[in-house]
Amino acid sequence: MPNLWDTAGKKWRTKRSAMENNDASSGERKLQCSDVSKCFELLEHILDGELVEGGAKMLQEKLDRCQPCFEHFHLEQAIREVLKTKCTKQPLPDKLAESIRQMIQDAR
Amino acid sequence: MSEVQRRKYSQEERTAIFDGEFMPHIDSMYNFAFRLTFDEDDAKDLVQDTYMKAFRFTQSFEQGTNAKAWLFRILKNSFINEYRKKSKKPATVDYQEVEAFYNSDDVDYQSTSDLRAESVKDMLGDEISNALNALAVDFRTVIILADLEGFSYEEMAKILDIPIGTVRSRLHRARNLLKDKLKGYAQSMGYGREEVED
Repeated sequence: MPNLWDTAGKKWRTKRSAMENNDASSGERKLQCSDVSKCFELLEHILDGELVEGGAKMLQEKLDRCQPCFEHFHLEQAIREVLKTKCTKQPLPDKLAESIRQMIQDAR
Repeated sequence: MSEVQRRKYSQEERTAIFDGEFMPHIDSMYNFAFRLTFDEDDAKDLVQDTYMKAFRFTQSFEQGTNAKAWLFRILKNSFINEYRKKSKKPATVDYQEVEAFYNSDDVDYQSTSDLRAESVKDMLGDEISNALNALAVDFRTVIILADLEGFSYEEMAKILDIPIGTVRSRLHRARNLLKDKLKGYAQSMGYGREEVED
């Protein structure tokens, strides 16, 4: 099982695993999402830090109950994470900052 | 616009703003410029131009507002006005065309539902970068702004001069296009849906 909230903390993870322990038989997620486009849009907004009102609760419910939402959320989260951490940074050319300062000096 | 028309900053203040608020963003600016132009010299010129303009128009910068977003907006406009035309890269796919095609949620879901979070996490930085670079410039730009630079939807709307709703939908399309590219890599790495090991 992948880390559920890599960043946002234990509370949620504890809650999840508690749920899984107590509720193994009835806690199955549904395999079809009845409103894929709306749900995914909501999940993406939440991931982008644009919290909608009541979003945390909605998110929790969806992840608990809906397999497509659960997978989509973790895929989207993984993509944001790799973009942020792995995308190759282009090193700043040596004299660029210096030459900009010089240009500004000359312009004054 | 003339720089003498609104003199709200003294010469010292102007210098302080330039050094203290503008220059610290030079790394992000250069990275953005490079991801737009794919050329070191073009990226350098673009960043230099942007800083020249930023200096000339310092009087129209509101202190206390987001300098990075202000600079990114200038850079993006310079790119559109001057560099896009003479870019050494072949023309990218027309944005409208791509957007129309991807404006179907069925396409969204089906085309990406067999890409798994685990395979994405295992990809190399180069693969992620290449996938991003392969996107048309308008899509690439929103992902850079949102994910690499951490701008909010509202800041992106200002940088790109488009409504927030358009930011949202363009970002959504961009992510789906990116997932398509990543799926290609995942398949070539041999990550089938069934055989992923954790």
